[in-house]
Amino acid sequence: MKIAVCIKRVPEMDVTFKIAPTGKAVDETGLKWDMSDFDGYAVEAALQLTEKAGTGEVHVISLGPDVVQETLRKALSMGVAKAVQLKCDTVPFDAYAIGTALAAELKDGGYDLIMFGKMSIDGANGVTQFVVAELLGLPLVHACSKLEIADGKGSARREIEGGGELVSFALPAIVSIDEGIARPRYPSLKGIMAAKRKPLEVRPAQLGEVRLTIETMELPPPRAAGRIIGEGAAAVPELVALLQNEAKVL
Amino acid sequence: MSHVAFAFVLTLALAFFSYNAQRLVRYLRIGNGDVRLNDVPRRVWNLLVIGIAQTKILRDPVAGPLHAMVFWGFLVLQVGALEILVGGVIPGFSYAAILPAPLHWLFLISQELTAAAVLAAVAFLLHRRIVVRPKRLQGDGVHSGDAIFILGLIAGLMVTLLVTAAAERILGSGYPLMAQPVSAPLAAALGWLSPGAAHVVREVSWWLHALLILTFLNYLPYSKHLHVIVSLPNTFLSSTSGPGTVGAMKPMDLETEAEVFGAADVTHLSWKNLLDGYTCTECGRCTSVCPANLTGKLLSPRKIVVNTRQRLMEVAPALVGGDDVFGMPFIGASTGTAESTAAILEHRLLDNFITEEELWACTSCRACVYECPVSIDQLEIINELRRNLVLTESRFPEEILPAFEAMERNGSPWAFQPAERAKWAEGLDIPTMAEMQERGERPDILFWVGCMGSFDDRAKKTTVAFSRILKAAGVRFAILGQEESCNGDPARRMGNEYLYQTLATQAIETLDRYEVATIVTSCPHCFHQIGNEFPQLGGNYEVIHHSTYIERLLADARVPLRTDEGEKLVMAYHDSCYLGRYNEVYDAPRQALKRALPVMTLVEAPRSRDNGLCCGAGGGRMWMEERVGERINVERKKEMLATGADVVAVACPFCMTMLADAGAKLGSTVPVYDIAEVVADRLADGH
Repeated sequence: MKIAVCIKRVPEMDVTFKIAPTGKAVDETGLKWDMSDFDGYAVEAALQLTEKAGTGEVHVISLGPDVVQETLRKALSMGVAKAVQLKCDTVPFDAYAIGTALAAELKDGGYDLIMFGKMSIDGANGVTQFVVAELLGLPLVHACSKLEIADGKGSARREIEGGGELVSFALPAIVSIDEGIARPRYPSLKGIMAAKRKPLEVRPAQLGEVRLTIETMELPPPRAAGRIIGEGAAAVPELVALLQNEAKVL
Repeated sequence: MSHVAFAFVLTLALAFFSYNAQRLVRYLRIGNGDVRLNDVPRRVWNLLVIGIAQTKILRDPVAGPLHAMVFWGFLVLQVGALEILVGGVIPGFSYAAILPAPLHWLFLISQELTAAAVLAAVAFLLHRRIVVRPKRLQGDGVHSGDAIFILGLIAGLMVTLLVTAAAERILGSGYPLMAQPVSAPLAAALGWLSPGAAHVVREVSWWLHALLILTFLNYLPYSKHLHVIVSLPNTFLSSTSGPGTVGAMKPMDLETEAEVFGAADVTHLSWKNLLDGYTCTECGRCTSVCPANLTGKLLSPRKIVVNTRQRLMEVAPALVGGDDVFGMPFIGASTGTAESTAAILEHRLLDNFITEEELWACTSCRACVYECPVSIDQLEIINELRRNLVLTESRFPEEILPAFEAMERNGSPWAFQPAERAKWAEGLDIPTMAEMQERGERPDILFWVGCMGSFDDRAKKTTVAFSRILKAAGVRFAILGQEESCNGDPARRMGNEYLYQTLATQAIETLDRYEVATIVTSCPHCFHQIGNEFPQLGGNYEVIHHSTYIERLLADARVPLRTDEGEKLVMAYHDSCYLGRYNEVYDAPRQALKRALPVMTLVEAPRSRDNGLCCGAGGGRMWMEERVGERINVERKKEMLATGADVVAVACPFCMTMLADAGAKLGSTVPVYDIAEVVADRLADGH
């Protein structure tokens, strides 16, 4: 079984972001970067599938400038066999442009399964896998929380409102991974050392036409200061009045 | 005829011993290399103080003197044993023939009194083993039968020594009465023996004694009492009391093409770790002071060492050949689980002998290492096994993953925002190194705040208190501010050497960029790490713990203190392991408290200073839940409260958290203060 996982390098999210002077992107100074969370689950799920099958290998693909090699190396240190960087100076915002480049790489790769995180945690579009599925003409199961492959067929569970949905599909196929499937393994030093010797191929990204761009980016407005009305039962009538007339929630 | 017979027996015995000695040395060679002959004067010193003077043994007020008596007696009686063995081969050989009479009488007195004293000590020790049965001599499959057998052998040696002398006296050896203070009365008691009978008694007793010596010698290689032979060499070769900085983890080269990082089996340990296995006599002093063991966790440092020996004895014959030709196992070597060579080779020290649960229970408090009378390094084995778990197998408690990730991403073992590292200093007018450099200035000291001191709300109060003291004393100091980042010590203690070296290297780059010479820190873990372990990676700085620094400022009268008397508090100081046993800083924090508040009374918990009980946070335990047994911090807090103190003083942010949490659990209102807070509270008005 041959699996490709498309991964993205994203900033560490639990920081206070600033907007860059251009007003169209976040200020990247001081940010730490890592593999997008959902992509990490996808890599782990892919590795577990090949380990369980006892055969096959996992490749990872990432699009972007040379810094994405760091993210690719991390996947290699987790146990992935080969990494491919689709090189471009900046990562476009348009999933169509990205998906076109990925599809071109994946088309003749002979993959049984192509995996994505259900979305990148920075862009939060969750569209790229749909573009790739369309361009390659493959079935897509979006946001899987469980995944099994047996006898050339796959089955997956999707979490939906109030329950689960079990989907079966034929290979080759594309799946995108939700959380809860598998916690990414912590690379061992042995894995990190081995990753240095594994192949990391660099090819120019054959980006599609960029039709979407970010015009402007802004931070949420600062929250207005709270107001203390009073204390105890005496404050209740005024609170009720304010909730009715000002907040209009009652 | 008798001499020829004895010469034959002696040759056989020595040959057999030599065969076993070579076998055991060959086994050690399956371990990795380790340099243990540096700084010979220091090693000789350890040998004299810990080995010959028995200082560690004597830490046990009951068994200590008894064992020391047997040990010193053993040394004294070697002189006599030599006479007996040589005299057995060479007819007529005797010290009487070569020594002036008074000197020979002195020799006789030394032998007889020693023999009597050893006999008495052995009687007490047997009573202890068989009747008293103290807790530390139980568990971990301790071989009490082996111990009783050895004690019996020693008793037999002493009795036959004295009986031989008494029989010779009856036969007319003719030494003065006072030269034979024990055998003379014995001879008098046996005076009814006919000369013929006395002759028989002498011959039988002599042969028994000589054969017991040879039996003893040849029993040792099969027994935990091998320590009789290897303890002194082990003490000499050990580095647990120096040379070098004690407690520093072993340097590790990560650039090698190794298949295994750290140790999963005895072949990955050093020969010295394996020699520790030979040396352990299962006395259990280590386990009896282990905070994890005391509170009901699975870890027993003694078991770690015994397991190392067991595994060595199991696998070494298969690896180097030379299985004992007589098929006699080392006592306690057989585990009864592996039958075939293939099964033995599939076994390993990790998992088959020592479980993950044991390894992760360790607080790295160093109490076991400190207590060991023969300088065994239990902690090094634990650390090497932890390294293997993390670096080779990526196996560790799930709950420490966030700490690893936070250290990687946020430069702190907690997911705090690096940008907020120096938030505590806002409005305090404390310059950063960058700001000072911009002004073309250099501080006297760098205050390394540490992650706890930077982010933890409670520890930040200590940080501020210490800064106030520095300012009041007019010390020109700076902080790194946002450029400070975790030095990697928690990662190293949790076995993640790779992450540690990444972080430590970055920290060294930052420190060197500012040409930092002197660092003061309020965290004993940072203090130990930067001072004692950074040199392994090329970072060399003078590092001072804030307790020592405050004490010096106070001693030099540089801190403006209030002139009123202050409160007549009763304080108990809790020793941090990384300050105490790792760095022998015991007096500075106590002195600082006394100088700041002379009217207070300092009380001590029963376990304090080098015997202090850990708070439970070391060795990465800070990031793990304590699910088994009693909680270490609660145990410790109970001890501190039992002193009747009004205030518990600490000098470590980790101890602070642990003891404050324990106080909350126990419903105690006794506050925990850092010594810096106590001193800052006494600062004169306006500071």
